Formats: sequence, structure tokens, C-alpha cells
Amino acid sequence: MKRFWKYSLHICVFAILATLFIAPTVAQDDTFVYWGGLIFSETANDAFVARVEEWGELRGVDVEVVMINQNETVQRVSAAIEAGTMPDALDLGRDFMLLLSQNEQLEPLTDLYAEIGEEHGGWLESINSVVTSDDFGGEIYGIPYAASGANILYRRNDVLEPAGFPDAPETWEELSEMAAAHNPPENYGMGFALSNVGDANITTTMLQSYGGRIADDEGRNCTIDSEETREFLTWITGAFEAGLFPPGATTWDGAGDNTAYQSGNAVFIANPGSVYLNILENDPELADWTRYSALPGGPVMRVNPVSTVVRAVPVATSDAKKELANDLFKFLSEDEFAEEYMSAAIYGPALQSQVDFAVFSESPVHVGLLGAAINGTPGSFPDVDNASYAEYQTNFLTPNMVQRIVVDNVSIDDAIAETQASCQAIYDKNNE
Amino acid sequence: MTQRASQDIHTQIKGESRLTLRQMESLMGYVLVAPLLVCILVLVVYPFFFAIAISFTDRSIGAGGAFVGLANFEYLFNQAAFLETVRNTIVLVSVVQISKLFLGLGIAVLLNLPIRGRQFWRGLILIPWAMPAFVAFITWKLMFVPQGGALNYMLIESGLVTTHVDFLGTRELAMPSVIVALVWRGFPFWVITFLAGLQSVPEELYEAAALDGANAWQRFLNVSLPGIRHIVLIVILVSTIGTTNNFEGIFLLTGGGPSNSTMTFPVFAYYSLQNLNIGEAAAVGVAMLPIFAMLAFVVAILLQRDES
Repeated sequence: MKRFWKYSLHICVFAILATLFIAPTVAQDDTFVYWGGLIFSETANDAFVARVEEWGELRGVDVEVVMINQNETVQRVSAAIEAGTMPDALDLGRDFMLLLSQNEQLEPLTDLYAEIGEEHGGWLESINSVVTSDDFGGEIYGIPYAASGANILYRRNDVLEPAGFPDAPETWEELSEMAAAHNPPENYGMGFALSNVGDANITTTMLQSYGGRIADDEGRNCTIDSEETREFLTWITGAFEAGLFPPGATTWDGAGDNTAYQSGNAVFIANPGSVYLNILENDPELADWTRYSALPGGPVMRVNPVSTVVRAVPVATSDAKKELANDLFKFLSEDEFAEEYMSAAIYGPALQSQVDFAVFSESPVHVGLLGAAINGTPGSFPDVDNASYAEYQTNFLTPNMVQRIVVDNVSIDDAIAETQASCQAIYDKNNE
Repeated sequence: MTQRASQDIHTQIKGESRLTLRQMESLMGYVLVAPLLVCILVLVVYPFFFAIAISFTDRSIGAGGAFVGLANFEYLFNQAAFLETVRNTIVLVSVVQISKLFLGLGIAVLLNLPIRGRQFWRGLILIPWAMPAFVAFITWKLMFVPQGGALNYMLIESGLVTTHVDFLGTRELAMPSVIVALVWRGFPFWVITFLAGLQSVPEELYEAAALDGANAWQRFLNVSLPGIRHIVLIVILVSTIGTTNNFEGIFLLTGGGPSNSTMTFPVFAYYSLQNLNIGEAAAVGVAMLPIFAMLAFVVAILLQRDES
């Protein structure tokens, strides 16, 4: 008898554990799961969640919104794909959308893209160009909801104007001259990351503005080794040797430039808008001193990369939920919500109807974001946007090239040769 | 006749089961262990062999991938960054483990003495290890910061230096700085484990050694160390695996920089995964296996020698 109760207890425990594992999975089948892109603005995040839940109430659909930090999207989505636990819809960056579409993980949304564009006066040309490139094979795999990735140049006007620099620098050379003219011990001019973080890929933008190219027009062979690259490296390493970069710039994390600017250690930084939102709330004095402008140009061209963030549907989503996703995306694209969201977010417009939103004329940093969205260059311009270029950037090869010179005292020629070899290895691998 | 044998016969006579009581209890033991075994097979064994398998493919996230033989390893070994990663990992792990060994052993011996406030010190020593890793390494990073960091403040105020020291931004100081942070974080585990080992050494052995004229150092060498030798070996094995796999410390402090001077296997594998090339990222992990296998083999030999 005692044994009977002992065995029964064990069986009950197993049954309870099994139920705990299985029940949530069964319950989730009826719920529409959306992975939203978590951004710096709590107000924008909350508005987004509320909007999706409102849609769920209107349509009688159970929704579950999970906000994913955009720095973790690659890891979370990668794990979900392998585990077969992708959500029904999700927000993605454009580059990640490219990689997933090439691995046939996303549902084409070409018709929906056209429909939403038509309803809102069309898409901005810069947005259209980054989601319709040849790499997508003629289909569109995500519905853009904002222009992203555009860097605005922040400058400390309280420091520069008394030093005789009331206007924004037009070129990188001019910027470094301004930084050198006013670079007291505790205040460094060039608050640009040179480390293994996405922010440091602004060095690729700088290199391209000097006329340097990562690869040729076919996007198959690296062309780092050029006079233009040498000219760029001479400029930037000279600025580093002159002490214009804050100490630690070679190992900053993603918030290094934000911290440097907000602690008063940097006079110039490039940032989309998270710093703006923070200083507006937490440091009104610094906000008052700050001026905003487009990124400077180089001797050859001005490169102002702009990308987009999209709403996408995984191929694994059921047909019924794909229909729901299309409806949700249209609901989220409505101007009423888009205006509320963008007034709190740090994005530029994606649709023509969004250009006239009040925030893009009233907020100084959003004026810059609007300018970037309208006049910005596609993310990889002038280079070819392909998997090799994406891998080049995720390996931070341009900042690493600069590090080799300023940290290891390797010559410019040797650093270029090493980077050329590493770059070509990536392109050769992806060309196979 | 024993009671157990009696029960066995009783069970068989009654015809309730063909199994004896002992057999039934053994079976129940297997049944109860089975869920854990399944978890280990599914969560440890399968991913282990799966990672080895995909390291020989060009698999990327969401795509099946084809067998490519040693192509991933060939690509890795031809990268200057990977070779530097191997060097850095060996240097980092060696220095960190040796430092923790001496520090851990020394402090454990001290805490084993009848000193005042011994319990307090034993509790205090655990703080670095008990603190969440993220908090610990972010705090170290803030201390190392050239402007406004605690270390630079103390150095400048004391007059030892006149300009900011970039602890994490120069090749010469980045690795030593990372080592200091990792040793600080990990040595308490060694202290506590060695302390437990020292306390299991019979007091009579120390008394006998003292009677034979051994001084403190000789007692340590000839009684304490041999008494905890097997614990030292196990701790070295476990901690070496943990230190080699340490991701958050290096990623939070330097991200593997500057200029790959602190790049180690886990951080390198992380960056590989950013490209969604999981075959390549798995190859980085698999490349570490021979090191662990060799280490485990050496420790196993030494332990076996101890037992025999």
C-alpha cells in the first residue's frame, strides 16, 4: 500500500511537470505573438505595445507583444529559427532582413508594400532603394516603418562658438581642425568609437567619403588597398596621435560615445537620437548647448548612410496569422499612430505622408533625421550591398585597421595589407 | 535467513511480481533518474555532438548547409585574428589560473588559522564570486576608465602619474587589466574549496609533524598540500574550463580589443555568430576541444596516480 502511494506520487509529479511544459505551448497556438523592436524611448515602446493590443481588441485576437532589445535581435531570432519558435511577426533591421530572406526565412510582402505605399503617398526614395535592391531577388520582405541608422552630428556649441566656430563643419578635415583648436585636457574633440562596436563603423563611412571603397563595383573583390584609403588613414591616425580622441575610444562599448558626450568629455559625436532624448530629460543645460547637423563630407563625397527598420513575417507563420499580420501592419502604418510613435522615437520618416509630421519641423534632431531620410545614401553606398559587405562590417574591419595603427604602431601600409587580406578572404568565401 | 531474503521469497510466493524487492527498487531508481538523464542527453550530449557535426558544414541560420569538410577550420586558421585568439587564450588562462592558485591557496591557509573574525573574513571573501558577473565587470570597467575612473583618480591624486592611464585601450595594459578583473572575480571559489579541503586534513598529522620538528612551511608542504592535492587538481580542471569559456568578462571590459589583444575563443565565436554562419562559429568552439580534452586527460592521470 505504501508502495502504491509512493508510485502514485511519482506519476503525479511527472504528469504535473509534463502539463507545465505542454500547456503553454498549446495555449500559444491561438495567440498572435509579435516581437517588437525595443528602442531607447520608453514612451515610444509603450505606445507601440498599446497600439498592437488595441488592434488585438478590435479584431478579437489575443496578442502577446515581446519587446526585444535591438542589439539582441540577431541572437534571439537565430535561436528561435533553430528551435522552430519564431513569433508570428517581428521587427527587424534591414541588413538582418537581407540575410534572413536569402535563407528563405521570411514571407514576401511585395503586394502589401505597394498597397501601404499607395495609401500614404508613396515611400521615400531612400527607403525604397534599400528594400528593393537586387539582393532581394525582386521581392520585398519587410514593411518599413521608419528610416533608421542615420547618424546626426552633435556638437557642443558652448565650447565651439567662443572658440570661433559657430557653424557646423562641412568636412571631416574641418571637424578635426575645430577639435584641435579647442581640445583642453578634459574635453576631447572627436568622440567617435574606434572599437569593436557598430558605432565604430562610422569609420567605414569616413573612408568612403574620402573616396575609398571596400570592394569593386561587382562586389566581389576588395579594393581597400588604395591611395584614398591611405589618405583617410593618414587623417584619422593623425587626429588620434594628436590626442583628439577620448582615451578608451579603442575599447568603447555601444554606449561609449553617449557617455563621453554626456559627461562632457567629447565635443563632437555621431548619434541617431538616443543622446538627444536623454539630455532633453536629464540634462537640459547640455541640450541647450548642443547643435545638430548632417555628417560632414570627405574630399570626394558626402556619405550619409540611412537604412530602415521593417516589420516582417516568418515563413513558419500559419496562413491565417499571415493574414492577421498583414492587417496589423496596415493598422500600424496609419498616420495617427505613426505620428505618435515618431514624436517619441529617434527615427526618420519612411512614407511621404509622414514627412509633414510636426516633430520633423519642431525638434532639432528630428529635422536632421528628416534630412537624412530624404537625402541619405543607401546603407552601403558607394559599395555594393551584399552578404560580404555585411560580414565585413560585422567584423569591424575598418575600426580594426585603425586600431592596428594607433594601438600596435603598425604602419599604414601594413595595416592596409592585413585588412585587404582579411577582407578578400570574406569576399572569396561568400563568392563560392 | 536475513529479513531481505525473507521478503524476496515472500514476494515470489505471493506471486505479486516476478521481480524481487531489490530489483524493483533498482528499477524505480532508474525510472527516477531517467528524466535527468534525458535532460542531460537532450541539453548537453546532443548539442555537443551537433556542434561538432555542423562545424564541418557551411550551415547558416535557417539554412541546412552542406558538408564542407575542414573548410571552416582552414578559414579560421588562416585568419590572423584567430591565431592571436589562440595565443591570447593560452596566456590569459595560464596567468589567471596560476594567480588564482597562489592567491586561493594562500588565503585558504590564512583562513584556516584560528584568527580573530575568521567567520567574518570567510564571508567577506565570497563577495566577488557572489556578485553578478555583469555588475562585477561593469564596475571594473568604470574603475579602469581613463577619465573619471577610480584607479586613474587615485594614481593622479597620489602623484604616481601625471596623465590619464588608459588601462583598457593600450595593448600593454589591456590584457593585464583583464587578468586582474578575472582573478578578482574567480579566486573566492578557489579559497572556499581549498579551505574545505584543508579542514578535512586530520589535525593529528599536523601534531605529528610538529612533534617531528617540522616548521609551518614544512607542515604546509608535507601535510597540507598532499592532503588537498586531489582537490587542487579538480579545481584546476573545473576552473580552467570556466575561465577559458569566460565571455562576459572580456566582452564587457574590452570587447576583445584593442586590436584583438584580448580576443579569446568565446568572444571570437560570438562575433562569428553575428554573421549567422553557425558552421563557422561552431568550428571556433570545436577548435577548443583538444585543449580541454588534453587537460582533462592530464588531470585524470594525476588523480589515478593519487588513488593508486
